[in-house]
Amino acid sequence: MFKLIKATFLGLIVMAFTSSAYADITFVSWGGAYTASQQKAYIDTYSKGSSITVENYNGGLGEIKAQVEAGNVTWDVVDVLPDQAITGCDEGLFVKVDQSEFINDLVVPPVSDCVVPQIFWAYTAFYDKAAFPGKKPKSMKDFFNVKKFPGKRGIHTWPNALIEMALVADGVKASKVYDVMSTPEGIDRAFAKLDTIKDHVVFWSAGSKPLELVSSGEVVMALAYNGRIGAAILSEGKDFEYIWDGTVLEQEYLVAIKGGNEAEALAFMAHASTAESNAEQAKYIPYGPMRKSSINIIKKGEPWFIKDGGNIDIMPHMPTHPKVLKKAVIADPYWWADNGAEVSERFGAWKGN
Amino acid sequence: MALPSYTTTGQRIGWYSFLFYCGLVFFFLIAPIFIILPLSFSASPFFEFTREFMNFEPEAWSLRWYRQMVGISSIGDTTVVTDKWMLGTRNSFIIGIAATLLATTLGTVAALGLSRPHMPFKGTIMAILISPMIVPLIITAAGMFFFYSKVGLTHSYLGLILAHTALGTPFVVITVTATLTGFDTNLIRASQSLGADTLRTFFKVIMPLILPGVISGGLFAFITSFDEVVVVMFVGSVEQITIPKQMWAGLRQETSPVILCMATCLVALSIALLTTVELLRRRSERLRGIKLRN
Amino acid sequence: MNDVTAGSILTTDGIPLKVSLKKSERRNKIRAFLLVAPLLVFILITFLIPIGDMLVRSVDDSYINTVFPKTFEKYKKWDRQDLPSEELYKTMFFEVKEGSGFSVGKATTRMNYAKSGWKSLLKKSKRKFKKIDEGPYKEQMIAIDKRWADIEYWKALGVMVDPTTAGYYLNAVDLKYDVNKEIVRQKENRRIYNHTWIKTFKVSLLVMFFCLILGYPISYLLSTLPLKYSNLLMICVLLPFWTSLLVRTVAWMVMLQQKGVFNNLLVTAHIIADENRFKLMYNETATIIVMTQILLPFMVLPLYSVMKTISPNYMRAALNLGASPLHAFWKVYMPNSVPGISAGCMLVFILAIGYYITPELVGGKDGQMIGNWIAYHLKTTLNWGLCAALGAILLGVMTVLYWVYNKLVGIENIKLG
Repeated sequence: MFKLIKATFLGLIVMAFTSSAYADITFVSWGGAYTASQQKAYIDTYSKGSSITVENYNGGLGEIKAQVEAGNVTWDVVDVLPDQAITGCDEGLFVKVDQSEFINDLVVPPVSDCVVPQIFWAYTAFYDKAAFPGKKPKSMKDFFNVKKFPGKRGIHTWPNALIEMALVADGVKASKVYDVMSTPEGIDRAFAKLDTIKDHVVFWSAGSKPLELVSSGEVVMALAYNGRIGAAILSEGKDFEYIWDGTVLEQEYLVAIKGGNEAEALAFMAHASTAESNAEQAKYIPYGPMRKSSINIIKKGEPWFIKDGGNIDIMPHMPTHPKVLKKAVIADPYWWADNGAEVSERFGAWKGN
Repeated sequence: MALPSYTTTGQRIGWYSFLFYCGLVFFFLIAPIFIILPLSFSASPFFEFTREFMNFEPEAWSLRWYRQMVGISSIGDTTVVTDKWMLGTRNSFIIGIAATLLATTLGTVAALGLSRPHMPFKGTIMAILISPMIVPLIITAAGMFFFYSKVGLTHSYLGLILAHTALGTPFVVITVTATLTGFDTNLIRASQSLGADTLRTFFKVIMPLILPGVISGGLFAFITSFDEVVVVMFVGSVEQITIPKQMWAGLRQETSPVILCMATCLVALSIALLTTVELLRRRSERLRGIKLRN
Repeated sequence: MNDVTAGSILTTDGIPLKVSLKKSERRNKIRAFLLVAPLLVFILITFLIPIGDMLVRSVDDSYINTVFPKTFEKYKKWDRQDLPSEELYKTMFFEVKEGSGFSVGKATTRMNYAKSGWKSLLKKSKRKFKKIDEGPYKEQMIAIDKRWADIEYWKALGVMVDPTTAGYYLNAVDLKYDVNKEIVRQKENRRIYNHTWIKTFKVSLLVMFFCLILGYPISYLLSTLPLKYSNLLMICVLLPFWTSLLVRTVAWMVMLQQKGVFNNLLVTAHIIADENRFKLMYNETATIIVMTQILLPFMVLPLYSVMKTISPNYMRAALNLGASPLHAFWKVYMPNSVPGISAGCMLVFILAIGYYITPELVGGKDGQMIGNWIAYHLKTTLNWGLCAALGAILLGVMTVLYWVYNKLVGIENIKLG
């Protein structure tokens, strides 16, 4: 009896420690259709020898800081927002990278020394056409108008883009949003506008959740990453409609975590940020590449988006389409890097009240 | 229970409405668990009973999610199929079994001590030993996260095994102590007076009698570990995927019906464990000469 | 017989019997204790010390002193009347400029709790300080950002000078230190926790109440039915008990959502119109419904074990003596079942107030409990001091309840199935 227990136990312990022959790189991204596009575009095609494990997260530097602080870094490459790229680089969480390969090929200059380019994407409102048989919401004002368009709204659990959208809904011009936000009264004004929908919101933190909330009828409209909406329309045949007015355009970068598997992480990031990789990704999700040469590859290759039974033109679904840019707020990552902490605190309290 | 013939109509109505009420409560308890079983065979990517599904149209029924669960992708999958569910299953069993063995050993020995008539500070010690079961998991997880990261136990299997052992021991202590009440200590004396040493007495006399309690305690410890997600989330790292952690991630990230498939498997597992424990309990009562309920 | 004679009785080896008995009893005690010791030590190391560590963290405020040691040394001499001297500005300047990005970043997070704005001020400053090489520093710092000339920011540092603080406990009940270290209430739009504490207790009490009114009748039924029926029905209670918490929560999501089973049934049966579906998910109602189902077995099991011991003869006697069934139940059966009620209620309440998983998944915005805030600060904001303080308060409440439960019911009487 004793022997048996002892043997089993030892066996298990040995198994637990030896069998964790694990991947060389852990790549952390936002899940769903987005991760799937990264997988197909440049993870599956990566053949430099490192095996790659994909993890999902919901943004924020919390987990990264916790890992660095505990001295136990298990994430190697992370897909981050631009304000987090700035903060993380300043606080020494990320590795500095050599940007010479792409620096002159970018639509906008990179936000910090630690990043390689990914995509432009947008926070966009959308709805299921079936939910509004009569009049359909068309603008950010309509999204914030619960009298005219009753029903719950799905919004994300952090303040980025919500502040901008609230101001647009309150009549601020898209180009003037950050001027207003830089005054304390501007922030009060945004929160006052948010108060008007407070009793009508359902929060989400994972990118695929808003699609599910709208599909299941749990909410009538939601904010989501435009690519997820596009993927649902294009690949799954969902009858969703974008509300491009008041869309907030954001950038997305890859970074390598200090203390992780740095060398292999950087090699992988170089592969993930080539013009070809960036263009390839748009075959699976409508996000705009940051490299000028990628956009050219796509334009030449249209119809670019891959679908069974005939590919589709992708450019009209891009958040960087000129038609969209006219109505969009271009997010200012520096504003968020400097003021994000205070606004987030206030937003956390707003959410809890 | 049949009603006596002298009951009045009012009493009959009362009794039957009482039975109806109880029926509803049992339904409330059990229905949600079984509702997910058919849904795991639906082809829809959302948790919904579609009309086609209810009409048994063949294309609305599918084993697609079960295939994804075991890591096989099929045509038309829009999400990445991973082997994480299988990895999680393996890890859950490794951690669960290791924690169970540790918890059962420590818990049984402690229960033997606690059941001795001479045990000092019995109440206090018992309260301490049971406390991991009572303290909210989120507090336990927070404490372990802070402390284990100091001593380098976070992000390791060992840390999780130790944590789950601590969470599982109360169940072993409770069940084994319960089996030991009504244990005839004369049996030990008899064995010793017949020349058996302590170890021999333990394995030949005590163990067979308390074995049902030990096993059901162990099963409780196992299911505790198997079902635990909060501590795994905070103490474990990406490597230590377990089934509940993967389910949690699935619910928060991409609600894929694979969760329902895994849920179905877990329900089957819990039915198996429950049956084992019930059989053991009856055996134990028979062995100790306690008559069965009623 | 008295003590004197007893004392004189000797054992065969010449030792007084009393001494010998005492010795053997001590030996037995030690032996019993030695059996328990391994587990006790194990629990101490893997469980109790971590929790103690968390309690220490709830008052610890020493980190910031290690990032700005010289600044704080000089700060203690400042009179808190006018803006500090060039000397203090200069010290701060170099400690910000030369400190590692990581430690300064972490320190600013703490400073932001004392006065909102410190973080953005230091972030901006640290980027711009790189370009400044020589003094005078005060003017240049103020030129970078006006806030360096705001005395409120400097005063706020005073809260952090001591290596320990009660600040996190204050925050946990919606109070705070102002810049002069006076205790004041949080700003109106920052008050979250009192309201959450009340909600946590309210939800737990409601769950306990619903468990009681659902659990009492079925426990009664189980304890009176013949064995073959009751065993079968007992499975309905035990199966949920053995089924994974997450599985049950998922099941409820399927049941309760807008297009879920429950609403669909009502719509199909034309009880409600398609557009008036009940909103049962992502709110407090969902939290209460799901927690009730999950905790119901913890009510039924203790109730059942007490009710088994109540002889049916009591009720028969009362009925024979002319009491109506309800009256007999209320006056005779009910008082006998009180130990079961108290045990079940305590257990359900204790388990309910610490819940985290279920409210997180089904609770939506207004179904969040204190456990969710603990997790939020642990994982998202990294405000571990506040996380620990909230945890410590919750733990305090638990300990009191646990102690009462122990007095009332006795820990060793917990039954599992």
